[in-house]
Amino acid sequence: MSHTVPSHPQMDVQIERKFVPKQKDLGEDVNWAQINKDVLRSLEKPRPAFWIIFFSALALFSFGVYCEVYQYQTGMGVSDLNNPQVWGLYIATFIFWIGMGHSGTLLSALLHIIHADWRKPIYRYSEAMTTFTLMTAALFVLVHMGRLWQFYYVVAYPNERWVWPNFTSPLVWDATAIGTYLTSSLLFLYMGMIPDLAICRDNAKGARRALYKFLSLGWQGTDRQWGNFKVAYMTMACFLMPLAVSVHSIVSTDFAVSQNPGWHVTSFPPYFVLGALYSGCSGIITLFIVLRYVFRFEAYMTQPILNKLIKMTFAIAMVWTYLDLIEYATTWYGSDEVARQDLVYRATGDYALQFWGMIFCAMVMPFTLLIRFVRQNYVVLLIISLILNVGMWLERFQIITPTFAKSHYPWTWTAGWWPSWVQWGIVAGSFGWFTMLFMLYCKIFPSVSMYEVKEMVHEQNMHDKLHGAQAPAHQTALGAIPEMNGGKI
Amino acid sequence: MSLSNLIKNWSNFRTRRPYEGQYDDSPYKWAMVIDLDSCIGCNACTVACYAENNLPVVGKERFGKGHAMHWIRIERYWGEGETLETEFPERGAQYLPMLCQQCEAAPCEPVCPVGATHHSPDGLNTQVYNRCVGSRYCSANCPYKVRYFNWWNYPERAWPNPLELQLNPDVTVRSKGVMEKCTFCMQRLRAGMDKAKTDGRILADGEVVTACAQACPTSAITFGNLADKNSKVAKMWKTQQVDLAKNVQEKTEDGIRGYRILEDLNTYPSIVYLERLRNMAS
Amino acid sequence: MSMGNMDRRDFLRVLGISGAAATLAGCGNTAIESGVEEVMSYVQPQDFVVPGIGVFYASTCTQCGSGCGIMGKVREGRVLKLEGNPESAISAGKICGLGQAAVQAHYNPDRLRTPMMRSEGGLIPVSWDKATQMLEQRLGPTSTLKGDQIAFLTGDISGHQRVLLENFLESYDSTHHVLYDAISRVTGQAASKAVLGAEQPLLNIDKARLILSFGNDFLGAGVSPVHMAAQYAKFRKAPRGTLIQIEPRMTLTGGNADRWYPIKPGTEGILALGIAHDLLQHEEFAKGVPDEVHALVKQYDQASVSEITGIGADAVHLIAGQLWNNSPSLVIAGPGAEGHAYGFSNVVAIQLLNVILANRGKTIEGQAEHPFPQLAPLQGGYRALAKLHEQMASGQCQALLIHGTNPVFTSPSNLPFADSMEKVPFKVAFVTHLDETAGNCDLVLPLLSAMEDFGTHVADYQPNGVELMVQQPLMEKLYPESRGFGDILLDILKKRKPDSYTAFPDYYSYIKTAVVKAKPVFKVTDSDDHFWEDALRKGVIKWEGKPTALEAKLSLLEVPKPRGLEADYPFYFVPSVRPDMRDGRHAYLPWLQESPETMTTIVWDSWVEIHPKTAAEMQIREGDVLVVQSATGSVRAVAYIFPGIQPDTVSMPLGQGHTQLGRFATGVGVNPYKILDPVFDAHTGELALHATRVTLRKTGENQNVVKDEGPTNFQNGHKLVATLDADQAKLSKEI
Repeated sequence: MSHTVPSHPQMDVQIERKFVPKQKDLGEDVNWAQINKDVLRSLEKPRPAFWIIFFSALALFSFGVYCEVYQYQTGMGVSDLNNPQVWGLYIATFIFWIGMGHSGTLLSALLHIIHADWRKPIYRYSEAMTTFTLMTAALFVLVHMGRLWQFYYVVAYPNERWVWPNFTSPLVWDATAIGTYLTSSLLFLYMGMIPDLAICRDNAKGARRALYKFLSLGWQGTDRQWGNFKVAYMTMACFLMPLAVSVHSIVSTDFAVSQNPGWHVTSFPPYFVLGALYSGCSGIITLFIVLRYVFRFEAYMTQPILNKLIKMTFAIAMVWTYLDLIEYATTWYGSDEVARQDLVYRATGDYALQFWGMIFCAMVMPFTLLIRFVRQNYVVLLIISLILNVGMWLERFQIITPTFAKSHYPWTWTAGWWPSWVQWGIVAGSFGWFTMLFMLYCKIFPSVSMYEVKEMVHEQNMHDKLHGAQAPAHQTALGAIPEMNGGKI
Repeated sequence: MSLSNLIKNWSNFRTRRPYEGQYDDSPYKWAMVIDLDSCIGCNACTVACYAENNLPVVGKERFGKGHAMHWIRIERYWGEGETLETEFPERGAQYLPMLCQQCEAAPCEPVCPVGATHHSPDGLNTQVYNRCVGSRYCSANCPYKVRYFNWWNYPERAWPNPLELQLNPDVTVRSKGVMEKCTFCMQRLRAGMDKAKTDGRILADGEVVTACAQACPTSAITFGNLADKNSKVAKMWKTQQVDLAKNVQEKTEDGIRGYRILEDLNTYPSIVYLERLRNMAS
Repeated sequence: MSMGNMDRRDFLRVLGISGAAATLAGCGNTAIESGVEEVMSYVQPQDFVVPGIGVFYASTCTQCGSGCGIMGKVREGRVLKLEGNPESAISAGKICGLGQAAVQAHYNPDRLRTPMMRSEGGLIPVSWDKATQMLEQRLGPTSTLKGDQIAFLTGDISGHQRVLLENFLESYDSTHHVLYDAISRVTGQAASKAVLGAEQPLLNIDKARLILSFGNDFLGAGVSPVHMAAQYAKFRKAPRGTLIQIEPRMTLTGGNADRWYPIKPGTEGILALGIAHDLLQHEEFAKGVPDEVHALVKQYDQASVSEITGIGADAVHLIAGQLWNNSPSLVIAGPGAEGHAYGFSNVVAIQLLNVILANRGKTIEGQAEHPFPQLAPLQGGYRALAKLHEQMASGQCQALLIHGTNPVFTSPSNLPFADSMEKVPFKVAFVTHLDETAGNCDLVLPLLSAMEDFGTHVADYQPNGVELMVQQPLMEKLYPESRGFGDILLDILKKRKPDSYTAFPDYYSYIKTAVVKAKPVFKVTDSDDHFWEDALRKGVIKWEGKPTALEAKLSLLEVPKPRGLEADYPFYFVPSVRPDMRDGRHAYLPWLQESPETMTTIVWDSWVEIHPKTAAEMQIREGDVLVVQSATGSVRAVAYIFPGIQPDTVSMPLGQGHTQLGRFATGVGVNPYKILDPVFDAHTGELALHATRVTLRKTGENQNVVKDEGPTNFQNGHKLVATLDADQAKLSKEI
């Protein structure tokens, strides 16, 4: 199992199994000392783009807070939601954010379990992304509530009257699933950071040192600690995998248990999970490019890794497309006349632009990933990854709005319903909130896993050694750092 | 629902409603019959509901946004298909008083995260305002769209002084963020049932009626106790061959008018509509 | 509790011990008749006043002239809700939306709370002392007003209010009581009177096998909708009767018809002649019909009738055939047929059908004779107002008193009533709400609401015998500065004729005395007090009365000449009367504003109804803002595409477009009264409401039409409102 301690007896076997990459995931010049130096620098002095992004996000978030306060004070009516259109952008964006949260776990847990080492430089921020997207999604649960101040009724807490939430409600399943997933993801993220926090602790001063010291839980890097850590980490990874699958499956039951046209679909759980992975992977690509530039992670976030990520995204996109198309097919050939009408309405009605936008962004655009130029040009790729997520957001919009606009009861159909600025403001604010939290995280915590990249470098070197390449002379022992960045952190 | 209660009565929670004989032991099961051949679409029921149940008047702008709060609304259709086949609606308009159908297998009930809407022992689909958090899931799931959400703090503007003096003290004035719906005039039923209980009897047929049924100038709305086999409403259900616990009604002969709306969704509504009649030879 | 008595709920006691008791329902009440304030404590309340328990008092609805008996639920001194009074033959325990909204008139935030007096161009609130001073100065014993110098303009009025008002005028040697109702039925009544000998015949809807209605919205804005709706429900039970409605714009009643025919406005009489033509082919109908009728009717064969009316020749034959097969039938004329230059002739032609079909004495009879004709309801229309207008404009009128009507709002633009009002030196309005007419007055007096005042009423339409409807306060008055109409008149009368009126401390004692005095007529042997208390408790005093026979005078039959369209004005304009707004006096009631107009489901607005075919030709979409232009003016409103309208016709609802009348009425919609052409009925001289011609102009603007209906008004294949052929139904087996 372990592949961290160079002298471990199983090591050889493992290396034997390893696929020999045509192009190495990391550059030749990456060494352990350099890793610490580069990563710790990201905690210190990012490019000015960081501050631009951060303050833009803060501004967006502030506007979102303003909208929410306005809505809270005045009533949900300011959102222009109405009798059939009860959910609007809030639930659409809620699903979007939950979905975004899925790939982080996929990358960190699934790829960890199957020993796909290329995940190592990028899993940390993906996990952070998961955590923060879940926190953002949880916001929407609150935002859409008519009586936000009574939100705790949804939670099963002991109370003197023994009043419980309604366990048959998918919303309670939601709350439970998201709560569990958020807690686990946070724990998983934190756990994986402990060795790195210790490095930070050793290099920091003042308040930051106290913080890292507190958080690193006395990590010394002993064999026993590493052993326990590895077992715990793998256990957690194994626990998270089914959890991640269940969360979006449960979110899909919000719709699938209902009889509303376009919701009453058996394939919803896998469809939602795949959609989630899809948007999550696109999100990871977006953040890959952003972090690579902002924190100067060029040496770690390399073209080969990105290439693998893109391949995975493309594969997921294709599966998702398949599931989406079979949903249409089963509806079209099914016996539910109302659902068929709803499908036609989606494609030709008031929200046809959004529908075809979704088809274009989420089904057609992935094919551009087959073009090498696109894969290698960061700016183009950044734009495409954003477009994919726009497509996925539109997909969520597609699920909610047209269904309400043309449900079973014709008298309450709506024509051309559109959300108010308050809804848009809160949605924009959620993007601000997420970006703000994420950027803050990257500024305070190492967003590239130092110890695991070191493992990767080590394994690459071992591989080279076995295959005749020379290990860099300045390779030192794990955790030892020759240069300390002046101890400024 | 305490935890022990929950475990003990788990089978009850899992029982598919409704079932034959569900109300055999219950003194009450409230139900309605609306004769669409008698309904003239005059809106008297709507106004009666506003008066009885403290429904707020929302004004033009909010009405236009779909924020109207009419628990009972008169729908006016021109036809059953998708277009009018003739140049004029030769057979008149099709009026439909639509209110909460008090479904026995209500799609709104299982999805409420906090159990604010639940089935009462006398067969009503009730809404507990205090408990409601406003997730609107019930409304999203309601096939009839007869649940109304308090999008605004209506009491602020709906009853400028002294209009608030008209408010019915027996009915809560709902604040913003809660869902509300037709209660079958719960407050009237409650008062009546309590009185009957004090007298040691069950309510007589017609002793308590809903505000809409009371006002209806053509008596198109019949309200009563389905559990009482001698009540008018129970007899009407029987004559119309509608069984509460069935989702497909088998009729012994043609020309029996009773039906329930969107029955194919397995909601088991408590309101039977009687088909509108037209002399097609005229 | 018997099955047959299910509308009566005995757990809610119907009370009404006396006028005093009626008001003693809470703390700190005033006994109206004594003027003494009494504090009632809940520690020792009246035995029927229980906190938390509502009690019912009987009264009479004054929202329209139907005179329905109502019951007000009173709790802790407040009236909360109105229900129908089962004692009343008119409402029989039922109530319409308009009636229920009376509580909102009572609690309306825009009610007038103090007297207002004109000063420096505006009305300012004054005390009653000052108002009384002015009244006395102008109208008191020293007043020199005489005869037609004083005019009392009222709407529909009956009962002791009417008697007192006439006595009041008499004290000035005047009989100048001008009655004006904007949507009056004067033409129809005159025609009915001429043919049948009764202004408003008794219609036995429940006994008819077939009803042929020419534009009579008897279920909606008719003469007694609650009563007729109940009769209609019986009519629809086995053996189910058939309703055929013929009108240019589908009314609520038209929406309930088995067969609805759109007709070119004004040609109703010709269609009736065409049907008569068909019927008179048969020997059994032809006998007894005068020769001149035969001669006249002969011209109207199916082809020519079809050409004029726009109704297919086979349809004319079909209708005639059904009338023939379904006896007894009932043919009703309504405002749709009356409101034309030859409206009188239309109605005469329509009533001819009742005569031919021998419906007299079966489905159409005369109302029972009223033992007190001085209490009978009075109605007036445009001609009376126009005459008053001329008198005012010529300076002949020195004092104008207005109650229960709003001519400044409802008069068409050819009759600028506000202008002539300026010529009158002293104008007094008796109102509960400051309306457009009151806004032009010199003195505006705040009246008690219908929930606070006493009164007696006689209904416009008496279904069953004759009833005197008693109105009593349901609660203590809300505003100490408001007073009853009768009380104000009585006060002035007491000053002018102290000998006759000092015996009555107030209006309550006046009507009580008057009603009790009439006890022998009611054949009651109870004590006076018991009789009176019983009247208050039941809200109605009944006489035995038998329907009277109708005559049949067909000599007036003539050929109606419908007004055609002109190139400049290519559309007929049919103003529709909403069952809830009526002539517009109820526009300040928020429940009614928010209650969707049944046919269109539009709320809080005015709109223009256009047939889809016409709309397509003119490329008009729903929500397009249109200018509706007639020869006398124009209004702007949104278009609503409406299939229930004759394609050459556009329709707008009356009642909106107030400039005064409180926050709920002002700024809502437009006032189509102001674009009515000055076309008058050839016989009665009344304004022909349906005879206007208009043209439409698109403004290019489009607005959201605020309505309950969604983007579709079809059932999308679901079984929502299912329709069954009446032949297949087994109504007789139903319960």
